[in-house]
Amino acid sequence: MAVEARTEQLAEPRPRRRRYRPSMSVPGLLGLPVAWLAVFFLVPIGIVAGYSVNLLSFGSVFGPASHGFTLQAWHDFLHSGVYLRLFWKSVKMSLLVSIAIVVLAYPLAYYLALSGTKRKYVLLLLLIAPFLTSYLLRVLAWKVILGDNGVLNSFFFWTGLRSPEHPFSQLLYSRFAVMLVLGYIWLPFVALPIFVSLESLDRGLLEAASDLGASRLTAFRKVTLPLSLPGVVAAFLFVFIPTIGEFVTPSLVGGANGYMYGNQIVDLFETGFPDWQTGSVLAIFLLGVVVLLTLVFSRFLQPRQVTAG
Amino acid sequence: MTEGGREVERRLSRQDLLKLAAAAGGAGMLAGAAPAGAALEWLTAESGRLQVLDWVGYGYDGGQSMFAAYNKRYPKNKAQITVMTNEANALSKFHAGLNFDLFRPYIGWVKFFAQSGLVQPWDPKLIPNLKHLNPYMVKAGQYQGKQYGIPNDWGFDQILYRTDKVKPKANSYSLLFDERYKGKIAWFDDIEMPEIAGLLHGYKDTWNQTDAQLKQTQDFLTQKKNLVRLIWSSETNMQEAFAAGDIWISYAWPADYAAMKAKKLPVVYMRPKEKPIAWVGMFMLLKDTPRPHLAHAYVDAWSSAKSGKWLEDNYFYGHANRLAHPSSSALSKALDLSNPKAVVPPFANLDRDIPRRAEYEKLWEEVKAS
Repeated sequence: MAVEARTEQLAEPRPRRRRYRPSMSVPGLLGLPVAWLAVFFLVPIGIVAGYSVNLLSFGSVFGPASHGFTLQAWHDFLHSGVYLRLFWKSVKMSLLVSIAIVVLAYPLAYYLALSGTKRKYVLLLLLIAPFLTSYLLRVLAWKVILGDNGVLNSFFFWTGLRSPEHPFSQLLYSRFAVMLVLGYIWLPFVALPIFVSLESLDRGLLEAASDLGASRLTAFRKVTLPLSLPGVVAAFLFVFIPTIGEFVTPSLVGGANGYMYGNQIVDLFETGFPDWQTGSVLAIFLLGVVVLLTLVFSRFLQPRQVTAG
Repeated sequence: MTEGGREVERRLSRQDLLKLAAAAGGAGMLAGAAPAGAALEWLTAESGRLQVLDWVGYGYDGGQSMFAAYNKRYPKNKAQITVMTNEANALSKFHAGLNFDLFRPYIGWVKFFAQSGLVQPWDPKLIPNLKHLNPYMVKAGQYQGKQYGIPNDWGFDQILYRTDKVKPKANSYSLLFDERYKGKIAWFDDIEMPEIAGLLHGYKDTWNQTDAQLKQTQDFLTQKKNLVRLIWSSETNMQEAFAAGDIWISYAWPADYAAMKAKKLPVVYMRPKEKPIAWVGMFMLLKDTPRPHLAHAYVDAWSSAKSGKWLEDNYFYGHANRLAHPSSSALSKALDLSNPKAVVPPFANLDRDIPRRAEYEKLWEEVKAS
């Protein structure tokens, strides 16, 4: 009986391979998000790009409009040491923050994903708990902690490490303050993608490595790390891209020294005498760098093969 | 009167008639139909809420007392306030297509806006309180003989410092660049910093520096920037940092001095020997406003002695109305209120138009970025 049934199953004609036809639901599903992206992302970028090459200008306000393609603002920007130095300063700050928190978040995500603890989702919830409060509030709270008479300095006064006349002034209104607060703000964003990539790891591979005589460290180096690398790269990009153009945190805790490239863009558009053309050049340059970085890193976003040896 | 006019008149409530009487000057209403007709014409033509673009603190976030009389008189056209962070921000809003009836730039921008074609002159006859305003400030609001700016709040740009921490070598703007107080100084995020540097360097006209002077100013500010802990654009942030002891010396306005005194901090509001820069807020009427009469009424409310006293007592700024006197004698002294010429030379440097504003701005942005 069973054999007959199997024979019937085998005899059943194979369905003809159907030509791929895009379902009508595809435009329905993608239409709105694509339209949204086009209207609220691509068009504004196009407008900003137009300002950067003077196809659009503020001319109607400042005198006769001078619409005409020119790369003068780009030339000035690329030959201005000031803006490029500021960009490089922001890149360094952003890199430091991103690397530091990836390094900090990895063990955390590793523990949550692979320790086998039953409370991992509770712990994960705790990790993202700060998101229940306002971003601004979290940043401002650091002012209370880092100020000259703040929590940390008061502790140093109490221990005798510093006197009230000579507090650690570098704690607030400094690059350090900006990086510290950015790290604090973005840590959960880093931990989550790493956690997800570690969670989806095939545990059988680790067992196989162990069976083949690999030590835990070797298994981590040869199996876990390569397979979690897409999560690590994604996490890095999640932090690096937004922080390189960050302006809220530096304007609140950065002071004169923690001023970043994003602040410059905002200021060119919003303060003193608006210079939308230069501001647009700075913005498009930043966008270009981010796109380039994403393209470079995207190859690492594919899971890497695990090879023996 | 036309049939249509009578129809409109029939629909007027007692409240509207009272409002009309006020708008037409009362007597005109009683004397004849013509003035009432004129008032009726603009009152019925100007509808909707008055759109005001003003600074933080000058709207329903604390400053509503200063235009309460207007709101009471025109309950159907109450002021709707949008916050501007500075003149550039206002420009950006205009450029983005937002429509307002009036806004408040500061004195250094009067000529710029008058020339821009964005604004129109006020009709002084529609602002009865204008006659009580400081004549030097009123004159500063004129361009080519027309009253483009109606002066209102005013004050000085001076230096606030902690007397228990700071011992200035002289009463001078140089305190903002004093190496002894590295990391305890705050500058203002504005092109007034190049102006102050120019005053310190003794330039003949710091508002119109030559290329060589601008270069020297930029080098000076860039070199001194390492002394600065905070470059503030929000007064609240500066006050917070000052009160917390994070900074001891700051470019400041009279209100900051009052706020720190209120916190019992030992502070002095130093008048620099270079003569302080004086500023005056100027109401300006936008060219395409559909509510010009309401805008005049709004500015008149702000210009009253009652509003002026409220501003002085609560915000510690000066007010252009010469009949307004603050309760605080310290403020009267700080603002030199007994002297009507307090804001002009030889007593102070009244802020003014900067012909090369774009160059100043570029300089300042580069100093911040350095």
